[in-house]
Amino acid sequence: MTKVYDMLIIGGGPGGYTAALYAARAGLSVAVLEKLSAGGQMALTNQIDNYPGFEEGVDGFELAEKMQAQAERFGAHTEYAEVYGADLLSVPKVVKTSEGEFLGRTVVIATGASPRELGLPEEQALIGRGIAYCAACDGMFYKGKNVVVVGGGNSAAADALLLSRVAKSVVVVHRRDNLRATKVYHQPLMNAENVEFCWNSTVKEILHGDKVSGVIVKDVNSGEEKQISCDGVFVSIGRKPATELVKGQLPLDAGGYIIADETTKTAIDGVFAIGDVRTKMLRQVVTAVADGAVAAHMAEEYLAEN
Amino acid sequence: MAALNINVNQFEQLKKSDKPVLVDFWAPWCGYCRRISPVYDKIADAYSDVLHVVKINVDEDGGLSDSMGIEVIPTLVLFKDGEVVASVTNPPSKAAIDSFIAENMA
Repeated sequence: MTKVYDMLIIGGGPGGYTAALYAARAGLSVAVLEKLSAGGQMALTNQIDNYPGFEEGVDGFELAEKMQAQAERFGAHTEYAEVYGADLLSVPKVVKTSEGEFLGRTVVIATGASPRELGLPEEQALIGRGIAYCAACDGMFYKGKNVVVVGGGNSAAADALLLSRVAKSVVVVHRRDNLRATKVYHQPLMNAENVEFCWNSTVKEILHGDKVSGVIVKDVNSGEEKQISCDGVFVSIGRKPATELVKGQLPLDAGGYIIADETTKTAIDGVFAIGDVRTKMLRQVVTAVADGAVAAHMAEEYLAEN
Repeated sequence: MAALNINVNQFEQLKKSDKPVLVDFWAPWCGYCRRISPVYDKIADAYSDVLHVVKINVDEDGGLSDSMGIEVIPTLVLFKDGEVVASVTNPPSKAAIDSFIAENMA
């Protein structure tokens, strides 16, 4: 007989391992299904300066390993498994993975989100070497340098504004001829002396040696190409939540995030959504870990009643 | 057991072995390389009977990775009888590494 876990957690980011920690400490049997290594997006952030308790900042990969070790200390099990599908309505719930089927009385979806990529070759390989997806995270590394921000929505505008205070120059590359961002961003950006706009343009190529040295942008109307030299490219063209797994089983909001309120309860009993994959105002490590604790608590309540 | 980090001389010796060799070309400054390392160690355990699973730091490989045309890391390269059989760059999961090995060991 396959073991039935009290809680299966899909995704070993900060939310997932916090749910594991709280659930394990509450005496529940817990398995975390992680495809690669603990931390998710956080593991690719060299320095996290907004997670309280680390006055000098903390390396995201190391923080993730600590969260994993802490949850495992209380009995949580980690399985390095890629999840292919889930039947969330069956009793117990079934999660199909590269390492076989796992059964759980509750399931916590902690699959996270990832920044939408430009989709250019070598983009991934240049992450941390000039390609960045979060100005709040990596902006300080570009102090006094020249950067390009790709995108025209709220997060791109916020990133450009933040970077304008740090970097020497900021060029906003946007495929339309004006910002989609809310008005509150427009004036400060237009007023910033070191911000330029490159309208109606998309990034066609990333120029690089070991590090990024510039981009080639293409005018979407004329097809004309030009080169912009820069030290960093901040890609801010939205996020994509990892919800393939639950499509058709759980309702998603317009942005594709799983609908669940602060209780983290989804439309299916015993299924919880936490962290970046959930509808929420602010996607940060601290809000993900908070979700994890809440989900463990709600799962405990659910298990007591069912 | 963790996957062993070896130097170029050790690699030349290992290539002569009857067992195929899987090499993870990596560097300490590479974020994705770090993310792979926990499962790569598990791979080293799981395949120890049939495969040498090792790592080579591209900063200290005397131009080996350059001569092989490796420009992006992490890149895993499978060698059989001293020859390159296949490679995969930046595998996104342990399952992806497992299937890379399964496909190319046959």
